[in-house]
Amino acid sequence: MSERPLVCVVDDDESVRESLPDLLREFGFEARPFSYARAFLDSDCLAQCDCLILDIAMREMTGPDLQRELKRRGTDIPIVFITAHVDEKVRQRVLAQGAVACLYKPFSQADLLAALHAALPAQ
Amino acid sequence: METRLSRRKEASLARERNFEQIIDGLPAIVALFTVDGKIAFCNRRMLEYLGETFEQVQAQASAYNFHPDDRDDVLTRWAAAVQSGEPFDFEARLRRADGAFRWQRTRVFPLRNTEGRIDLWYGLCIDIDDHKWAETLLAGEKRLLSMVARGVALAEILETLCRVVEDAAPGRLCSVLSIDPDGVRFRHGAGPSLPAAYNEALDGLIMDRNYGPCGMAANLKTQVIAADVASDPRWAASSWPGLVLGHGLRSCWSTPILSRDDKVIGVFALYQHEPASPSQREHELIRQFTEIAGVAIERAHSDASLRRSNAFLAGAQRISSTGSFSWRVATGEIAWSEQVYRMFEYDAAAPVTLELIGARVHPEDLPLLDDMVQRARRGVPDFAYQHRLLLPDGSIKHLHFMAHGTPDRSGQMEYIGAVQEITDRRVSEEALSKVRSALAHMARVTSLGALTASIAHEVNQPLSGIITNANTCLKMLAADPPNVLGAQETARRTVRDGNRAADIIKRLRTLFGKRDPTTEPVDLNEAAREIIALSWSDLQRGRVIVRAELAEDLPPAIGDRVQLQQVILNLLLNAADAMSGIDDRPRQVVIRTERPDSEHVSLTVQDVGVGLDAQSAEKLFEAFYTTKSDGMGIGLSISRSIINNHGGRLWARPNDGPGVSFTFLVPCIADAAAGPRPAMVKR
Repeated sequence: MSERPLVCVVDDDESVRESLPDLLREFGFEARPFSYARAFLDSDCLAQCDCLILDIAMREMTGPDLQRELKRRGTDIPIVFITAHVDEKVRQRVLAQGAVACLYKPFSQADLLAALHAALPAQ
Repeated sequence: METRLSRRKEASLARERNFEQIIDGLPAIVALFTVDGKIAFCNRRMLEYLGETFEQVQAQASAYNFHPDDRDDVLTRWAAAVQSGEPFDFEARLRRADGAFRWQRTRVFPLRNTEGRIDLWYGLCIDIDDHKWAETLLAGEKRLLSMVARGVALAEILETLCRVVEDAAPGRLCSVLSIDPDGVRFRHGAGPSLPAAYNEALDGLIMDRNYGPCGMAANLKTQVIAADVASDPRWAASSWPGLVLGHGLRSCWSTPILSRDDKVIGVFALYQHEPASPSQREHELIRQFTEIAGVAIERAHSDASLRRSNAFLAGAQRISSTGSFSWRVATGEIAWSEQVYRMFEYDAAAPVTLELIGARVHPEDLPLLDDMVQRARRGVPDFAYQHRLLLPDGSIKHLHFMAHGTPDRSGQMEYIGAVQEITDRRVSEEALSKVRSALAHMARVTSLGALTASIAHEVNQPLSGIITNANTCLKMLAADPPNVLGAQETARRTVRDGNRAADIIKRLRTLFGKRDPTTEPVDLNEAAREIIALSWSDLQRGRVIVRAELAEDLPPAIGDRVQLQQVILNLLLNAADAMSGIDDRPRQVVIRTERPDSEHVSLTVQDVGVGLDAQSAEKLFEAFYTTKSDGMGIGLSISRSIINNHGGRLWARPNDGPGVSFTFLVPCIADAAAGPRPAMVKR
């Protein structure tokens, strides 16, 4: 049985952490939620993670901070940003930094799937 | 020769006659005694004083006319003088014709003949009775007044007073009655020589003018002399004459005792076993000691009312958990009421020092105490502090201090203040303040352009959850076989997130629909003071000391008072947040208002917090710095848009020392006389 790709969700909003992994599992992904960036960095998922869905605005370490940190470590996990703040400047900045996509909450199922497909071309 | 002799004899007789006349005319008693004590000669003054003839005096035993108590002393001295041949003097009472004994100072000299032998003794008596009387009364008065001054119990003072009077006026029985403060009943004051049963009968008696002379004197406020009770018709209908005569008393002189404000507060009375009227001297005595009794009774009354009000105050302090204190800053003298000792759990005998206070103040609140001491040393007229005590058993008390200072005569500040224990109140306050800080927080994000972002953020979060859950739900139902349990769970989450979104909308609408911004003259000082008061408990909880340095004569700013206050609140709470991790220095915020030029007023909030470098000072206001709705970014970007809308500026600048200063500048009314401008500049 081929292994299901692991998608990690880092968001400090509880309703996202509850709902998004369930949906991802329905799509056939393995999903793991984290409530803050440091928790993800400290976890054992870093090496197995195939795609990261990452909130932008978080306490302490923000999404873009984590993006920079991963790059610094040379880890090349594709990142899909999600944010509740509609701010085009921020969106452009994170895309320029190499994010696969940046979705405004609430996002549609189609947009999410498109972003995941872009992040995981093999699927 | 004979003629010469007889002439000389005549001359000698004439000299003798002259001498006799001079001696008789002296205002003193003069007498000559033989060596065995027999009287050989006395002047007319002596016979007049004694009311006796020379022959009668001659027939009497030695020292017969002296007071029986003094007689032995006189004879002993006489005998000693005869032995030694030396002159001597003494004071003794000598009976006068009317039977009264008067003090005389007697001086006796030996008269020697040509051979140097003592033939005669020469005695001279000077009346010192008036002097002696005045001296005795003065000593009595001094003793009594010192008892009053020392606060000796009234009963003891009045009893001594009676004794002094009775010593001065033998045969008189002295009594003092006081009158209840309600002015209705007599109270026994003193009557040490009167029968106990008689004193008892008068104690608690209603002050009736027809009962007896004391009642009459008190009611009529005048002296009443009953020279002979048996024949006095004034109390014929009363039971008093029977009572007083039954105790063997025949006369009674009653004098009202008046207070300084001319109220009757007692009656001074002298009783005699025989019918009598007061002599001139006794009138004087009565006048003098009635006055002293008045001083004593009045002092006792004011002591009692002071004790009552002290007890009342102590009771009130206990009930309200409030204590009072005074503090003389220059000398360090601190006085506490009983209740403050109780709050600090110190023994009431301990002298209060700042060290003693410091030992109980919660270590984290010691900077507040230091701040208070420094302000007091600067002579700040009023201050108020809330701080905690950490007691030896580990329990914590919350106290609220308030003090007002007044310079004393030497210009030193003396603070009088109240301390209230507010521990219970703080517990409920903390619950309340959670609600309030949520509201203040909402107020911080309520404004203008930034509100949109805030709304979007708040609403998008649950919306995102709703859509994701709904998608999941659909997926689960479409599976084969459908995952109904999973679908139900996600549907439940959908409902919950929907409700959450609705709540947010409702909350925002309440704030949003509040009111439109207005333009009015705004007193920035007043606005700042209100905000300080409003956030007082939050700041105290964060152990933040606020110092207001508000410019005098600041012209009113032009703008929306509520919006400007939101900015002040936001800056103040940010300052408090920035200092929350600071423990090595007092967390002090200075709020300063100034007038940088004729058209603007400014307000600066200066903290000693973690600070920032000059580059990030500007970034603070950028939207990118916006993290969460309770973050610094949103508050600051809203604040800046509010100030920009007022035609002003808001900026941050690192302090020379630790921390940051946020300053905003808004237009003001240029000249108070010109009145408010019609409207603020539109941008």
